[in-house]
Amino acid sequence: MPRLEALSEAQRNMMLNWPCPDNDDTPWTTMGRPLSASKVAMVTTSGIHLRKDAPFRSLKGGDTSYRIIPRDSDPANIIQSHTSIGFDRTTSYRDINITFPVDRLEELVQSGYIGELSDNYYSYMGAINDVTGLIEDSGPEVATKLLAEDVDVVLLVPT
Amino acid sequence: MGLVTTGLVLIEEHAKRVKPPRMLSVPFNFGNTLGRPNDPEFQHEILKTTFDLLDRHEGPVLESFSSNIAPELFSQGSGVPRQRSAVVTDPGQELGLRRPFYERWVQQNGGRTAVGLSTISQTDFKLVIKFLEDFIEDEEFDTPIRPNQFSVAHFIRYCVDDLKAYYFESKMSEDAEMSIAQLHEWLWAETALGSLIMRLAERMRSDDNNEVKAVAFGIAR
Repeated sequence: MPRLEALSEAQRNMMLNWPCPDNDDTPWTTMGRPLSASKVAMVTTSGIHLRKDAPFRSLKGGDTSYRIIPRDSDPANIIQSHTSIGFDRTTSYRDINITFPVDRLEELVQSGYIGELSDNYYSYMGAINDVTGLIEDSGPEVATKLLAEDVDVVLLVPT
Repeated sequence: MGLVTTGLVLIEEHAKRVKPPRMLSVPFNFGNTLGRPNDPEFQHEILKTTFDLLDRHEGPVLESFSSNIAPELFSQGSGVPRQRSAVVTDPGQELGLRRPFYERWVQQNGGRTAVGLSTISQTDFKLVIKFLEDFIEDEEFDTPIRPNQFSVAHFIRYCVDDLKAYYFESKMSEDAEMSIAQLHEWLWAETALGSLIMRLAERMRSDDNNEVKAVAFGIAR
């Protein structure tokens, strides 16, 4: 984490009081095959999407919709409409892999560390106050799409 | 078979509450999840450590990634004193002066740019600046250049995002060594655009329309 003591007092308090769910237990799925034989997908909460897609919006509680990013998308065709100004974006201007490691995943396939990659990746907004829409609608929707694509492993990357 | 997940988390306290199956806590700041840009070796180390968690047989697993990289903090607009000796005070004129640097950035980066949310071409940004200035002065509340799919409030936000990206990319092209903190300080302290955005956010916060007020928070504070 960005050490909480390194953040401004306002940012630290906001993070400590963030209304994320307090779960009692953890859903658990064991690996069915080695990573080197698995299909891997990526889900990011960096609020990126294709230029042709509708940007994420500033909504009360947060925008819980998602965007599909085909794996073969040209990085020049990907932009970010995350609503928060609490994080720096200039690093991702320099290197998209800093929050969306598309090139790194391709390299891991080439080296045999990962079996294969899904055709599609998925992007959500971060900084969501009310996750009801994620839990009831957009989360299950994306999970269904991932299963339909025979994905084994999902890599979750925040921003 | 279900889906097996593993991932990175920036706020460890949140992972302790949500209890996802496997998480690697990284000590970097927001927006810098894989630690260092253009450092494939280091990014691979982080990813492989994240994937290593897949071998665990019970969870939740929450481990920490150690690194000596200090999270680089940056200031918001209100935390940066304006320099009174700004070279250019007209944002429209300033925009033109930044263009060669911006265009060089795009060329150097294979056409990749963060500009584009508003759908307005960067060559027409002068029209955007004029609208934002008129909006601040309560002389205009809408503009014919706004695409129908965006409300006025969201159009303003996307325009501001585009202008910030245009400025940051132009500055990184001009001086590739500038740190994150220096880039943000430059925008807010030294540019006419920084001043305009601060005035715009103040104007939006005082608007009667709740959407305009809400969007102001995503522009500057």
